[in-house]
Amino acid sequence: MNIDAFLSGFTSATEPQNLLYCLIGVLIGMLIGVLPGLGPAATMAILLPIVVTVDPVSGIIMMAGIYYGAQYGGTITSVLLQLPGEASSVVTVFDGFALAKQGKAGAALGVAAIGSFVGATISIVGLTLLAPLVASWALDFGPPEYAALALLGVLLVATIGSGNTVKAMIAAATGLLFATVGRDSFTNTGRFTFDSLELAEGLDFVVVAMGLFGVAEILYNLEERHGKVHVPVKVGKVWPTRRDLRQSSGAIGRGSVIGFFLGVLPGGGAVMASLAAYATEKRISKNPERFGRGALEGVAAPESANNAAATSSFIPLLTLGIPANASMGMLFAALLVLGVTPGPQLVEENPELFWGVINSMYIGNLLLLLLSIPLVGIFIRVLRVRPAILAPIICVITIIGVYTINNSTFDIFVMILFGIVGYLMKKTGFEPGPMVLAFVLGAILEDSVRRSLLIFGGDPTQFFTRPISGTILACFLLVVLLPVIQAVRHRRTAPTTTADQPDRKDSLR
Amino acid sequence: MSERDERLTPAAGDDILAQLEAEVAHELEEHRPPPGGPAYQVISSLVALAVGVTGAVLAYGYGLGTLRRPGAGLWPFVVSMLIVVLSLLLLLIGRRLQDSERFTRASLLVLVGLATFVGVAVLLPIIGFEIPSLLLCVVWLKFLGGESWRSTAIVSLATVVAFYLLFLYGLSIPLPHLF
Amino acid sequence: MTILIGYIPTPPGEAALGAGLAEAARSGDDVVILNSPRRGSYVDVALVDDGSAGGLLARAEEQGVTARVDHAEHGADIVDAFTTLVRESDARLVVIGLRRRSSVGKLVMGSNAQRLLLELDVPVLCVKPAR
Repeated sequence: MNIDAFLSGFTSATEPQNLLYCLIGVLIGMLIGVLPGLGPAATMAILLPIVVTVDPVSGIIMMAGIYYGAQYGGTITSVLLQLPGEASSVVTVFDGFALAKQGKAGAALGVAAIGSFVGATISIVGLTLLAPLVASWALDFGPPEYAALALLGVLLVATIGSGNTVKAMIAAATGLLFATVGRDSFTNTGRFTFDSLELAEGLDFVVVAMGLFGVAEILYNLEERHGKVHVPVKVGKVWPTRRDLRQSSGAIGRGSVIGFFLGVLPGGGAVMASLAAYATEKRISKNPERFGRGALEGVAAPESANNAAATSSFIPLLTLGIPANASMGMLFAALLVLGVTPGPQLVEENPELFWGVINSMYIGNLLLLLLSIPLVGIFIRVLRVRPAILAPIICVITIIGVYTINNSTFDIFVMILFGIVGYLMKKTGFEPGPMVLAFVLGAILEDSVRRSLLIFGGDPTQFFTRPISGTILACFLLVVLLPVIQAVRHRRTAPTTTADQPDRKDSLR
Repeated sequence: MSERDERLTPAAGDDILAQLEAEVAHELEEHRPPPGGPAYQVISSLVALAVGVTGAVLAYGYGLGTLRRPGAGLWPFVVSMLIVVLSLLLLLIGRRLQDSERFTRASLLVLVGLATFVGVAVLLPIIGFEIPSLLLCVVWLKFLGGESWRSTAIVSLATVVAFYLLFLYGLSIPLPHLF
Repeated sequence: MTILIGYIPTPPGEAALGAGLAEAARSGDDVVILNSPRRGSYVDVALVDDGSAGGLLARAEEQGVTARVDHAEHGADIVDAFTTLVRESDARLVVIGLRRRSSVGKLVMGSNAQRLLLELDVPVLCVKPAR
């Protein structure tokens, strides 16, 4: 690792402008985490038009802050209101709220904040050490390797991510299809343009993302049935005792590691990490009955894990140019619009951006640790605003925002169209995340595949004969075939169980 | 609380995670409409199939070329065929899935909301952003949100004024405006 | 017959509770304490949790009054919650607390108390907290 570059990153991250954007980002992130209904990916999509007007480094620092800040915010409502602000904080509700009812809300929030900070910091250190290594290794990648990697990434998001795998793959494939709209750079012919001048330019990432994540989410939330009104539990003593910390230190450590690895995996991420960390703690605990009744480990582990995962999910994006989840997809889009091409060359070509963002995370997490507890009162006040009041404000931000990208009304209509698509997808069980990811990767992926075919002289088997791309594609095939193998194995054991059941019924008589 | 304990007692190692996932899914689903039936699954599969077929047909028209010299249509064609295959698979296996949501009376709210978006898009270049945004806010607050007239008026006006100041004076971003 | 007390955990609400319980103790009526949160909010500071509700019931017991707490939600207009509950519980009197406000304040921000006074059919007792 280049120490000079690392240190210059700190210089960049501590510039007043970047500090300000970092602060804004983490505050917005915490706010989004506190408020149910809007997630970090949707918020990042909605704020894309604003981000592109600022300096690239500042913009990415802010977007990154929104993402990992949201992991801190979700905890507050989980503990105090039994209302998870983010999907990754749902597990924290179980023990967090139980602790709050026992008068230990302060300890729960404190342990959660410390756990989040430790998890994030361990993850950033891992990121700092690992990222340059992976990037330098990946510099040898040619178009075939990149194509295989992008395909594997999309497939992993479709399989491991939430939602039905087949549906996610259809969504991803459709995203790839939408990415082909416009002028084909290789042959200079128009594809799917239907004689429209605007469509000939292709579909704008930002517009599509704002539609699929922003508008779709807003419309989807309209159908939300009114939940019950909550009374916030009073926060007493804010700091956990030394004994509390010692009790949760193991959970924090384990959660951080679990989070780090699950975050790097495309399709994994904060939600899965929080679940896995909680399940692990419960499994290895000497008294598992404590879980769900106010076990501090049940708060410490998922909180460390979700923050660690949020941070480590930057690795595939910053080193390989592969977004690991929807929020990283938004960051990918932001980088592209800002004129920065994500990929292994990012470390070398844009060290101020690379190290500036990574080092801003140290600062951002410190800010979050210091701010998250004192701001609890303010966040509870914010929650007193009814969601019905916030909704139109978000609508106006979205519509005006998308207009300002190109001063184009056409863009608003495209966004609305994708908003309808996204809404219908959510209603019928298709996740919009894989579609956005595939759309954002689509142009580069097609480019890589076609370049590869030109290199191979038209022989696709060479994808497999090249060592690196061959290995990646082998993993790809493994991931595709694994569920099929499992299904076959299940069907082989099924006949025996159906034979057992009649016996059981007989014995009950 | 005790229900949850019963559900989470470890039978085997994997069960905790599976039960946990079910628990989490349940929490997130509590405020959503009930699941839709097989019709939703079949129709969505057919729509996906239609997308794939249309894509394939159009892509074929752009010329497939050869593997040595890929035409403009080769990649879209391959992707479209993938969609077709996956949609057929989904049609076969997806009928019993429970991951769709029924359209309810609340879905009418979504239609209204959509109409407001279209309304603003149409009116914005003609009469500026202030009035369409105001109308959108009024519809969302009063009719979609059930707020009182007083609250609607205050929030709508405050929002439009705030955006006016923010975009035209703060960020100096040009927006079509009437005032 | 019942007495309906509109309660929120503020000085006017406490004043209403005190006056309402005293009246109920004097006339031997039951009490329904309406603690109505605003529908669709995540958090409503007017809402009391189960522990505090238990405290309210205990206070009623001390004065020999049978009480129950009702958390019916209200939409944009709180009068509806009161009207419905008056009808359901056959209340003969409604007790509410008044905030001290200037006329301008009432003009700008509106007054639930005024609407209740004007629209409820049963007598309304308005209580102010001690100065």
